[in-house]
Amino acid sequence: MSKIIKDIQNPWQEDTAKSITFIVTKDCQLACKYCYLVGKNETERMTWETAKAAIDYILDHEEDRNFKQESVVFDFIGGEPFLEIDLIDKICDYIKSEMFRRNHHWFNSYRFNFSTNGINYDSEKVQKFIEKNRTHLSIGITIDGTKRKHDLNRVYKGSEKGSYDDVVRNIPLWTKQFPEAGTKVTISSADLPYICESVLHLYDLGIKQVNINCVFEDVWKEGDDQLFEEQLTELADKIIDGGKYEENACSFFSENMGKPLDCKLQNNNWCGAGRMLAVDAAGNFYPCTRFAQYSLRDKEAWIIGNTKDGIDENKLRPFLTLDRCTQSTEECKDCEVAEGCAWCQGENYDAAKTHTVFERATAICKMHKARVRANNYYWNKLYRKLELEGKREEFEQNKPTNKTDIC
Amino acid sequence: MKPYLQYLVILLDDTSVAYCHADNPLKERNLMPIETLKKAILFGMKQNLMIQYVYPEYELPAEYDETIESIDNLKIGRDVKVTNEVPAAVDCDNIVLRIKIKDLIAKQYDIAALLPNVKRMNICLTDIETFKDEQIAEYKKALNTLGAVLTSLYKEQKHPQLNILTDRLTLKEMHNCEAGIGNITVAPNGKFYLCPAFYYDEKTGVSNKMNYKTKDASRSVGDLENGLCIPNKQLLELDHAPLCRNCDAYHCNRCIWLNQKLTWDNNTPSHQQCVIAHLERNAARDISAKLSEAGYNLPEIKEINYIDPFDVKEEW
Ligand code: SF4
Ligand code: SF4
Ligand code: SF4
Repeated sequence: MSKIIKDIQNPWQEDTAKSITFIVTKDCQLACKYCYLVGKNETERMTWETAKAAIDYILDHEEDRNFKQESVVFDFIGGEPFLEIDLIDKICDYIKSEMFRRNHHWFNSYRFNFSTNGINYDSEKVQKFIEKNRTHLSIGITIDGTKRKHDLNRVYKGSEKGSYDDVVRNIPLWTKQFPEAGTKVTISSADLPYICESVLHLYDLGIKQVNINCVFEDVWKEGDDQLFEEQLTELADKIIDGGKYEENACSFFSENMGKPLDCKLQNNNWCGAGRMLAVDAAGNFYPCTRFAQYSLRDKEAWIIGNTKDGIDENKLRPFLTLDRCTQSTEECKDCEVAEGCAWCQGENYDAAKTHTVFERATAICKMHKARVRANNYYWNKLYRKLELEGKREEFEQNKPTNKTDIC
Repeated sequence: MKPYLQYLVILLDDTSVAYCHADNPLKERNLMPIETLKKAILFGMKQNLMIQYVYPEYELPAEYDETIESIDNLKIGRDVKVTNEVPAAVDCDNIVLRIKIKDLIAKQYDIAALLPNVKRMNICLTDIETFKDEQIAEYKKALNTLGAVLTSLYKEQKHPQLNILTDRLTLKEMHNCEAGIGNITVAPNGKFYLCPAFYYDEKTGVSNKMNYKTKDASRSVGDLENGLCIPNKQLLELDHAPLCRNCDAYHCNRCIWLNQKLTWDNNTPSHQQCVIAHLERNAARDISAKLSEAGYNLPEIKEINYIDPFDVKEEW
């Protein structure tokens, strides 16, 4: 049974790994319809000088409380990061050599992480890069499911042409190179009818872990929750009846979901904004990429510093003092199914009535409740089956756990 | 008790004196129309609020007098003197001294010399955002100078109040500025603001960061026609301020305007604000110990090992 998937109980492994994100380009071949990057463009590409200045700043401040974590994940995002493979290669080489030269505590405790649309995954340059960094690398290719589902949203810029065929041809190579990798699926209103077929399709493609979440934006229409529940119930039946639960995981189904939460004992913030650091082409630092201007509909970017002046600690204080209950409404505090109900700090900020990160957006409310109902169904059905087959204990000992990847 | 709306601050003119942390950058006179003033007073009466007029330097037209006196009031800039310089002597009971940190440090003895002659002095630092950790020792020393004078006066049974030191002696719970909760400001335009500083920012076009395209600067929270409307009001309250609700610098202003300016969130204080308030708290603790020895019965102020609650937040 696969043990590929991380623990859902502690979605943010606080203070163990620092996540540092390079927004290397704001350009992408695609123009996905749900993309939250409202300000994507072809002009803002990171220069080598900026990247180097950011790395120097980060490594120079090894002792700061912002960089004291045991290990580090360098994330590369865009737009589409692999459009800048030359720059990325240079950045990664520099990070490695500098960490070695400085005898930095992150040396040998680092990872490079990519979220890519997968289109140029098989290009010579990308493949060379993978070969060179294989032992410290994780790559997630985003594929939304079946062709009709994927092509509904993930279309080429300037045309309505879907990108499914160009991505799916790279999946066998990817799953061969990263057999433990998972994919990230984002669900918006129009995608709901395709959830079940899409997850099953991804399993069939050899992707064992499907990280899937509903968008946090206020997009949900009347009846969407019923449709969502129906889809998840159907998916539950297919996974359980088809025995797919042994090898595969889908983040929609989790045992740690749907119970009330205590404001004292279970008061952690959901997301890691502020404990992460993102840097963009201008050399500005952000608490997470969602606070960069290109990700925000209305609010001004939440810039916490830059490579020249460093980090303004005051601008990080709200993030580092956030807890669940202070930002939640009374309804959320009293909610009987609050456990597992997620939020995105960036969306909270963008949607807030004032300039704050302390107002939780709850557009996802009815979708979470629908998910909880389907999730309860899934576990009740699965455990009954396992009991009847006498396999419950074995399953409990070896069950695949989910990685919650909400951002 | 949870604070509730008790005070209505009426800015009579755009050039009304600044009496708190924010300087007033508005230089052109813009007197509140008398009709607006009447509406503001009516609002105050109906909401059962104490009126605090904030006066400009110049004399108001005589026809305002009757309206102004139509209700019990306090006159800031008149009954309460506001000064931006350390005066050689004081001729009033109640004075607000607005001062930069370095000037307070430089003039600590001049300020101490005024204490025997006032009933209450409010020191209001106007550049908290510039405070550097390197100034901690100097600020501590200035507080000790003021504290020594206060201690000897108290031993002589004279009890002048100095907000930054003596308020903390008797407080058992937070007593902050409470802008938007305990008090609300109405500007000459008839709109409500959390405090005058928010009005100044709006008038001078400081973006409220709510819209990067328009760089909108508006900050009003209602008007006299439609009443008060404070979005996210809960975030002004102590129980929604993760650092402050665990803090015992009870006298601290917890200035939400400075919070917004420095941390970009109303409910989160800056490092500077917390450090200054804690140096004052600790200086009050020293005074308290000495007064207790002299027979005063004051609530205990605990010894603590931090000057910024942010540094110990993990322990809560
Ligand atoms: S958003 Fe809805 S489901 Fe989620 S915690 Fe709040 S009330 Fe509960
Ligand atoms: S010292 Fe800091 S935490 Fe304490 S009340 Fe003042 S602003 Fe809040
Ligand atoms: S928020 Fe309060 S303490 Fe701050 S400037 Fe306004 S009135 Fe003064």
